[in-house]
Amino acid sequence: MSTKILTVDDSKTIRLIVAKAFKAHTCTILEAANGVEGLAVASREKPDIILLDYTMPVMDGFEVLARLRADPDLKATPVIMLTAEAGRETVTKIAKLGVRDYLIKPFKEELLIERVGRVVTLKLKSAEAVRPKRFDDPINILVVDDKPAIVEQIRTGLAGTPWKVNSADQQGQAFDICMAQGVDVVLVSLSLPKDGAYMLFQSLRGYANTTSIPVFGLCVKTATAEQARAQQTGFAGMVTKPIDCTELKGKISRALKLETSYKYYQQREGILTLTLPNDFHAAVATEVSARLDEQLTAVVEAGGDKIIIDLNQIESPSLPIIEQVLATIQACGKLSLKSAVICSDAVKAGCRTYADSQSWVFAKSFNEALAALGSAASATTAAVAG
Amino acid sequence: MNNQIEQIEALTQEAVRKVFHSMVSMDLSVAEPDQEPHEPVEQIIASVGFIGEATGVIHLYVDLAFAKTIASKMLGVAEADVDGDETVNDAMGELSNMVVGYVKSHIANGEVPCTLTIPSIVRGQQMSVEGSSSIKKKVLGFRDGTNQLLAEILLKDSQP
Repeated sequence: MSTKILTVDDSKTIRLIVAKAFKAHTCTILEAANGVEGLAVASREKPDIILLDYTMPVMDGFEVLARLRADPDLKATPVIMLTAEAGRETVTKIAKLGVRDYLIKPFKEELLIERVGRVVTLKLKSAEAVRPKRFDDPINILVVDDKPAIVEQIRTGLAGTPWKVNSADQQGQAFDICMAQGVDVVLVSLSLPKDGAYMLFQSLRGYANTTSIPVFGLCVKTATAEQARAQQTGFAGMVTKPIDCTELKGKISRALKLETSYKYYQQREGILTLTLPNDFHAAVATEVSARLDEQLTAVVEAGGDKIIIDLNQIESPSLPIIEQVLATIQACGKLSLKSAVICSDAVKAGCRTYADSQSWVFAKSFNEALAALGSAASATTAAVAG
Repeated sequence: MNNQIEQIEALTQEAVRKVFHSMVSMDLSVAEPDQEPHEPVEQIIASVGFIGEATGVIHLYVDLAFAKTIASKMLGVAEADVDGDETVNDAMGELSNMVVGYVKSHIANGEVPCTLTIPSIVRGQQMSVEGSSSIKKKVLGFRDGTNQLLAEILLKDSQP
């Protein structure tokens, strides 16, 4: 459902400017030319936010606001007041009215969008067609910690990614950065003075454009009471010190729902190839499994009948790797897809020590795997079925 | 009085440039008002007054063609799509309201209480506004290329 913005202004020009400003967003713009009309539209349409001119004939913004606040259905509707008068008296009066914000005319469209975006969720129309963020896309991470060594450790640990690590040493500065710079994820020390981490969390949840930023708590493993408190508050998770940056990447990746399957699933000569990395761990298994059915279904829907599992990066096959390969072959079997495993002789020998791998089709190269699948279809199917 | 009109003059200059920069994406340059005689063209005068401890009015003068350009840039539409006189009038009225609102808010750091009038628009050819002898008058010129905008300040003498 699109965000409803009601603009109440006697100037048609301002109403048109507001409509123009939000043209690129999935918003419904409602208009009223005076306070009386504005109240009627608000009552009927229940807008998400009202942009209210202060000086209007018939009924001024002050009276409109008083009536909105007296209406049980509308009293919670956020209002941003627009005024051409920036004098202290006017500003004080506006501030006392209980408006969410006010904007002095003249204003730039960008400022209007930013102020409204702090109160309601604004979505770009084009964003609907944009691909999901990938693991190798730039991401802005804000580390809030008064210990520079922790910031540096995270920065070093994430150096191999295109992710940018910013830092702040107290929550006020962190909040300003989040409001101004489009932060994707926040890591905040739970030991900041005066409950700084919780204050920051609450501040971020208070604004539409920061409310969905995942916030992780940073603490030592033994601080279990602090961890429990943060979890109860609604933190996305904990990152314990000393920081395991591989684990951290996985947590950020999951919190931001980053697309990671491209790291494991590739098309090679039109054949789906699943490549498992040597540092195969639980997070990788989760990422691979999360996309397995979708990838295999796509093969079937495209008219394919085989996939390749590439273990060439593996030095020695651990049980989790064997389990992943087995799960993949079983999933292939359910869709009547053939599969072959490419690996070194050492890995093949290692696999053979596990009963589950006895009937797999092994090959040393991609071409050999294709040839094997061409002639060993029945054997593979039989092995999976067995 | 002299001090006040000088202050209002400086604020008006600042306000016009700021308002046109923010709302019209137009960077006006300050220029001496053009005194050369021209063929009569239709003009628009957008006025907003202020009444209180400072009393006066500020008129913005532009020719109709320039007013249409201003309205089209302000609304982000082609000049051909500017929808009639009312749209141009409303845009000019809103701009003058912002200019005078800015001036009002900044006279003596907002410590001079006064109330703004609603914007009014006058259209015609070869127009000028005259005040009585107790009215101080200042005219400021602005340019965007060959287009001229004049801001005329009329301030009532508050001395008995």
